[in-house]
Amino acid sequence: MSTFRALVGITFTAASFFVSPAHAQDVLRIGAPLPITGALAPEGAKLKQGYELWQEKVNAGGGVKAGDKTLKVELVYYDYQSTTPRAVQLAEKLVNDDKVDFLFSPFGSGAAKAVSAVAEKYGVPLLASSASSAEVFDQGYKNLFGLYTDNSTLSEPIADLVKAKIPTLKRVAILARNDLYPLSLGNEFEKSAKKRGFEVVYYEKYPIGTLDHSSALTQLRAAKPDWVIVTGYINDLILVRKQAAELKVGGQVYTLINGPAYQEWIDAVGPLAENVTTASWFHPVLNYKSEDVFGSTKDFVAQFKAKYGAEPDFTQASGSAVGVILQLAVERAGSKDRNAVREQLAKGGFKTFFAPVSFGPTGIANSYIPPVFQIQQGKVQVVFPPDVATSEFRTK
Amino acid sequence: MLWLQVLVNGLALGGLYACIAAGFSLVWGVLNIINILHGSLIVLGGYLAFFAHQYLGLNPFLFAPFAGALMFVLGFAIQRAMINPVMMQPVLMTLVLTFGLNLFLDNLMLAGFKADYRKINLQPPLGVLEFGDIILSVDRVYAAAVGLALVGALWLLLRFTQLGRAIVAVRMDREAAALMGIDIRFTYAVAFGLGTMMAGSAGALLAAIFPISPVSSGGYLGKAFVICVLGGLGSIPGVVLGGFALGVIEAFGALALGPENAITISFLLLIALLIVRPTGLLGRRGFN
Repeated sequence: MSTFRALVGITFTAASFFVSPAHAQDVLRIGAPLPITGALAPEGAKLKQGYELWQEKVNAGGGVKAGDKTLKVELVYYDYQSTTPRAVQLAEKLVNDDKVDFLFSPFGSGAAKAVSAVAEKYGVPLLASSASSAEVFDQGYKNLFGLYTDNSTLSEPIADLVKAKIPTLKRVAILARNDLYPLSLGNEFEKSAKKRGFEVVYYEKYPIGTLDHSSALTQLRAAKPDWVIVTGYINDLILVRKQAAELKVGGQVYTLINGPAYQEWIDAVGPLAENVTTASWFHPVLNYKSEDVFGSTKDFVAQFKAKYGAEPDFTQASGSAVGVILQLAVERAGSKDRNAVREQLAKGGFKTFFAPVSFGPTGIANSYIPPVFQIQQGKVQVVFPPDVATSEFRTK
Repeated sequence: MLWLQVLVNGLALGGLYACIAAGFSLVWGVLNIINILHGSLIVLGGYLAFFAHQYLGLNPFLFAPFAGALMFVLGFAIQRAMINPVMMQPVLMTLVLTFGLNLFLDNLMLAGFKADYRKINLQPPLGVLEFGDIILSVDRVYAAAVGLALVGALWLLLRFTQLGRAIVAVRMDREAAALMGIDIRFTYAVAFGLGTMMAGSAGALLAAIFPISPVSSGGYLGKAFVICVLGGLGSIPGVVLGGFALGVIEAFGALALGPENAITISFLLLIALLIVRPTGLLGRRGFN
């Protein structure tokens, strides 16, 4: 029986935990359901690092200035175990039991959409750190604010680049993970390609959790594409890149999203990373001057590195970014009153280390263009837009 | 020639699939335990190979039998300490127990190894074999070969050794076997240990080809299930046939109806087979 009791004990401590107890009036309490365990655990850990860096920085400076008060930031986390229904339950709990002032979203488009219904019901402004699919923002909610720009802002610049640099390119193959965001992104690429007169010779979906892509890639190879586009998450894209090389899939341009912007991806595929293009909403090579606690992208990166020993990727940066946006909105509102803060969020114009952020009428960010990256000599280089570019777009 | 490449892709995975399912079939056939823990044990074997490669530089293909040997000890201990006491209970009881153990081991691995996917990167890479237009990666050939060799060794063990005959005897008639002087509890533990050994070896081979993560255990369990039913429960040749069948069905299913439907097709086939031929292709009632 003692084994059983120990087991229950471990499960419970792993399942839910508090950071810092609830107390006092002068706190800004934010609820953050996170995927601490389960399939999205790596992303959950990254978001948490981002939140905590921001929290530590703000509290070290006294707190968030709201009118004549200074509010300490308090984050309340729960683990939703990478399952969306649990994230919804926990969001209810955060609002009703923990009485949080504001919410940060769970990871990804699907879960953010689900939780946004809870935020709307209670009128709690919700900052979505990692939702970029337009489908998330199609319900007319007033409390949902998404940091990422729409998926089409990823596909359009790359399609423009490819069209301009390789005029002979014709045939496009797309392989998309059968999941809300990657599929939506795949559809955007199909639209962008067709709009420019490319021929989409292959478009298939692979199921979540696929380890063996040889069937799909065999067919893709037979379609003889010039441009290969694959959407999914980091693990999918490591596998696809390696298996495509093994099966000698041709093509002049490889575009893989999301993965190559992570250092782990480059390390995992080695020389196969060369010339792969990708796009993402943030990268440490950017350099924005900002009005937030960090001061600039460069300073944010340096402080992140000092705390965690590695450069931040876009997910980690997103965690800090939703923090600084909320902070700026509260400071401008002069209080943590939800209506006043919501009004400031809708007004936008936040100059952050992440990007200049304003939200469109549906709540999705529309104020910046995510850069296009290319891996060159094992390093991530920005190839678009020209004002932040660190290198020229290369072809094989 | 596309179909030939697809066939090759499917067959290349078949040997490994047989290895994944052999231990599951043995435990189900002999102990009448539906071992939900099997997928997690495969993943644990994968981690053993991963760390052996990372810290000791051991080649996963050569290490696979040793990973299996280590896992045998674990399996033996689990059966002895936890499953033997409930062996006389209805099958639901052992099902729930292994399900609980599966949750426990998965979360323990999540806590210890994190959910990040990790893969063994052999240096230099093994490369590919080319026959005209047909391409076959060498690591898959090795994995299939070692996997089939291990399944073959298990078959020989069950067929020709005293221990193997004892396992089969216990399956056929527990009381009669006990009267013949066979230690039932010990035999159960050995059988479960062998099942765990096959899972561990399969995991080590998988880690050489695919990334491993504690969250992928459910997928392997599902495959083991399909293979056992396809090939027939309680038969080693059945497992081999089922493994190749699943590999080829998945490959052609993806070609015909798109990769997103490949798994659906194999499960539909499973249902059809359960209706038409519930014993599987080579299934028998006893394990021999």
